[in-house]
Amino acid sequence: MEVRVSMEPLFLAWSSCRRRRFQRCADICSQLLSESPCDQAAWSLKTRALTEMVYIDEVEVDQEGIADMMLDESSIAQVARPGTSLRLPGTSQGSAPTPAVRPMTQSGRPITGFVRPSTLSGRPETMEQAIRTPRTARPVTSASGRFVRLGTASMLTNPDGPFINLSRLNLAKYAKRPNLSKTLFEYIFHLENDVKNALDLAALATEQAQFKDWWWKVQLGKCYYRLGLHREAEKQFRSALTHQEFVDTYLYLAKVYQRLDQPITALNVFKQGLDHFPAEVTLLTGIARIHEEMNNMTSATEYYKEVLKQDNTHVEAIACIGSNHFYSDQPEIALRFYRRLLQMGVFNCQLYNNLGLCCFYAQQYDMTLSSFERALALVSSDEEQADIWYNLGHIAVGIGDLTLAYQCFKLALAFNNNHGEAYNNLAVLELRKGRIEQAKAFLQTAASLSPHMYEPHFNFAMLSDKVGDLQSSYMAAQKSEDAFPEHVDTQQILKNLRQHFSTL
Amino acid sequence: MPEVKSMFREVLPKQGQLSVEDVPTMVLCKPKLLPLKSVTLEKLEKMQQDAQEIIKQQELALKEQQPQPPERAE
Repeated sequence: MEVRVSMEPLFLAWSSCRRRRFQRCADICSQLLSESPCDQAAWSLKTRALTEMVYIDEVEVDQEGIADMMLDESSIAQVARPGTSLRLPGTSQGSAPTPAVRPMTQSGRPITGFVRPSTLSGRPETMEQAIRTPRTARPVTSASGRFVRLGTASMLTNPDGPFINLSRLNLAKYAKRPNLSKTLFEYIFHLENDVKNALDLAALATEQAQFKDWWWKVQLGKCYYRLGLHREAEKQFRSALTHQEFVDTYLYLAKVYQRLDQPITALNVFKQGLDHFPAEVTLLTGIARIHEEMNNMTSATEYYKEVLKQDNTHVEAIACIGSNHFYSDQPEIALRFYRRLLQMGVFNCQLYNNLGLCCFYAQQYDMTLSSFERALALVSSDEEQADIWYNLGHIAVGIGDLTLAYQCFKLALAFNNNHGEAYNNLAVLELRKGRIEQAKAFLQTAASLSPHMYEPHFNFAMLSDKVGDLQSSYMAAQKSEDAFPEHVDTQQILKNLRQHFSTL
Repeated sequence: MPEVKSMFREVLPKQGQLSVEDVPTMVLCKPKLLPLKSVTLEKLEKMQQDAQEIIKQQELALKEQQPQPPERAE
């Protein structure tokens, strides 16, 4: 007979949880619970394991739904004073790169070197634009589609229904047990995404703790934030800070102010945090991000450099400084930053694409094409592939191979039919071949796809001017001026047209 | 040059700058550095993808269980 010696199951579950094998941990706990349904330790451990599987750092997550953006009531003034709002990025003074050198995102900010969940989509100006902004398969109207989706997904994986049936739970009973309530709260908040129940639990628990436990206050703040009650969230975070200074709390508080569009207050919060936690990397990164969003690239770069002094493997800082160098005409320095990332083990198509571009503009032609080949081998979505072909088109234009360039831009469009930049560049190439009608059509498509770019408007104005359609030229030039007021050539066209019109 | 005598007095402008006429040309959009993704974003996207996979599989399984009920109705 075989004697099987096995570990104590609960200990094994603990050990797997520590080694981040959450599925295994949850399985063992389920077995334990089927044997003794009242095993609190196993229950708590299973909640933890399930939560960890879908856990996302709440500081990072900030996704505004369209409803939030369009029906926003928290703004005080329609037109904010310069340098006090994140929503009017054009209002920063000086040091901002012009769209002539650095491409803009839809929100009118220069493209960044690093995307965080909150930078995914800029704030659209109109409802139409809001709906047209590419969002990957997320419901348009829901306040936070991603959260809902994650919640439903976790339920689908369980054929027997959810692990904990929230509606049958007596929250008051659990709130009295600090050993269970915290894991239960995280489970409800992260896995079920049932913010209302989480809020109830947190409120009961903080009452149990005689309003002295900072942890529960932070959780209350998180719930209020998710529900869009920003002022209440602010109160909770402030109150938590009086009990216990904590980096996370400062980050949450700053996040609230960012959502309320008060970047200056957020900066102050970060600075207060830095007084208590000198040279804390996350706080410094937060400051740098705000400067970046307000278009103040010099300060942003300074803070990112400060971050790198503390943590020289900070991917975000390296990427942002690198892209800043690239767009301020120093591709060879940018190349060094991106190479550093490669040495650190970052290995994805974005990095190879950036390396390829930097190599080309730093005149290291031997590496360029092989970098792009690798980038193409590593793509995971059609949008990425489109962007890489688009950049390859630029390389082709750079070496004068216009046929290749033409094909590259066409390929970019084949992968992403909404690629406004590719349409614009294709139009320029078409015009060189003398196909005016085709060029015109491409420019119009580009202008409707990405009205925030000045290039298609300007090109269309030029083209219409040449063929004598002065009215369309004037209208396009005006749009170009809206997108990029300092553009000299646009001003020139407008001046000429105004002269023409006044002589008529 | 003092030796060369010419009929015309040379004109050397002492003021002003050399100017070249700038012919406005069509503009290309600029090359785009792709932003790197944060760890959180990657995790979010991965979870979303996994969830969609699972939903797809479950829908497929459902379809196999019910082999075209409308045909039977006819």
